[in-house]
Amino acid sequence: MTAISNIIADPSFLAMYAIAFVLLYLGICKHYEPLLLVPIAFGVLLANFPGGEMGVIQADSNGMVEVNGVMKNIWEMSLPEIAHDLGIMNFLYYMLIKTGFLPPVIFMGVGALTDFGPMLRNLRLSIFGAAAQMGIFTVLLVAILMGFTPQEAASLGIIGGADGPTAIFTTIKLAPHLLGPIAIAAYSYMALVPVIIPLVVKLLCTKKELMINMKEQEKLYPSKTEIKNLRVLKIVFPIAVTTVVAIFVPTAVSLVGMLMFGNLIKEIGSDTSRLFDAASNSIMNAATIFLGLCVGATMTSEAFLNWTTIGIVIGGFLAFALSIASGICMVKIFNLCSKKKINPLIGATGLSAVPMASRVANDIATKYDPKNHVLNYCMSSNISGVIGSAVAAGVLISFLQ
Amino acid sequence: MENLDLGLMLMAVGMITVFAILLIVIYLSKLLIAIVNKVAPEEVVVKKTAAASAAPAAIDPSTMAAIKGAVNIVTGGKGKVMKVERI
Repeated sequence: MTAISNIIADPSFLAMYAIAFVLLYLGICKHYEPLLLVPIAFGVLLANFPGGEMGVIQADSNGMVEVNGVMKNIWEMSLPEIAHDLGIMNFLYYMLIKTGFLPPVIFMGVGALTDFGPMLRNLRLSIFGAAAQMGIFTVLLVAILMGFTPQEAASLGIIGGADGPTAIFTTIKLAPHLLGPIAIAAYSYMALVPVIIPLVVKLLCTKKELMINMKEQEKLYPSKTEIKNLRVLKIVFPIAVTTVVAIFVPTAVSLVGMLMFGNLIKEIGSDTSRLFDAASNSIMNAATIFLGLCVGATMTSEAFLNWTTIGIVIGGFLAFALSIASGICMVKIFNLCSKKKINPLIGATGLSAVPMASRVANDIATKYDPKNHVLNYCMSSNISGVIGSAVAAGVLISFLQ
Repeated sequence: MENLDLGLMLMAVGMITVFAILLIVIYLSKLLIAIVNKVAPEEVVVKKTAAASAAPAAIDPSTMAAIKGAVNIVTGGKGKVMKVERI
């Protein structure tokens, strides 16, 4: 009745335990994205105990799954039936993840924790959030050349957006069988932002470029836009952006709309403070727990231990590095045509990963010049990168779903 | 080859859309700033009176006693509080 005989018969379970322990170690001891890595790692552990029935069983493209030797359509099964026949983890997965419910809920929490002030004060710099999405589409092309289907390639490329919920949302829609490795790659590389950004910056930027002082440039060429009432502007902004995105890229509304809703209830202030508190604390935390556990539970040994996973790990890194590099290159091109110079670190933070990317960029800038604090400027491209990656996801979903 | 064509098309459409949306967001924000500056009154910043900022506020006796007590414990009775200033 124990799982020992099954583990001996199929040692691949041991490899999955090792992966789970490494992820737990990274989350607990190294503090790499512990809020996500710990539930994911524990989900991996739970999913790989034979007989535990905690692993997620992926339905095929027609929605068919094998239940006790009989093929059934998952979308025709009731939720109690799924819980009874496939276990509690499949119940959670098909109710919360497969329906695409949790990523937008997490985006609402992210919106409630985001301040669009730095972006509104430095609007010009927001465009670098678009340039940094280049990695997504470049890796999509590379992945297609490597033999991935366009749907799989798009899910792989979206890792370059450096936005966990966006990567998960896109993968659920396009290639749900790759959800586990893609979520792991996305969150692992986000945790490795303090390593990847300095590496790419070192390869592409000179000392002189990194010493460009944004405050001095601002004094030399002052901005013409003056904000007289930031509070009102911050309330109007999420409503206006949601409307624009909804009109142009409707498939991105579930992400951008929820992001902006979360932000709106934060900016209104005391009148909606209870909603803000729920969105940024209890709802966000509960959603993170279930998202992490369910994503981890998709990583059963048969779904994870294959060459596709290795391709995702390599492709994910490439997407991440290319996104940073394209942001930097765009700043360099911009500097060629403008008198008002921009520190290339602002381009490097065009990928999401808010606010870690900005903090890392600020550390690099102050290393070269202790007085050169670029955090506020980096936050502008960093926050616009969140909108950019959500729009890119919307485009991919609308074409490939 | 068909998939590669699709990939190239997605790259072109995707990047153009992302740039276009962020440009729209930027110009929309500029428009909003102009409207808000015109329509909404400026934020009222409560300024401290000159008298209040010029004269250093007196330290509350209980706070002073707590500071003296803490210094006494930390320095083992050797330290003495000469002056407490609000920064």
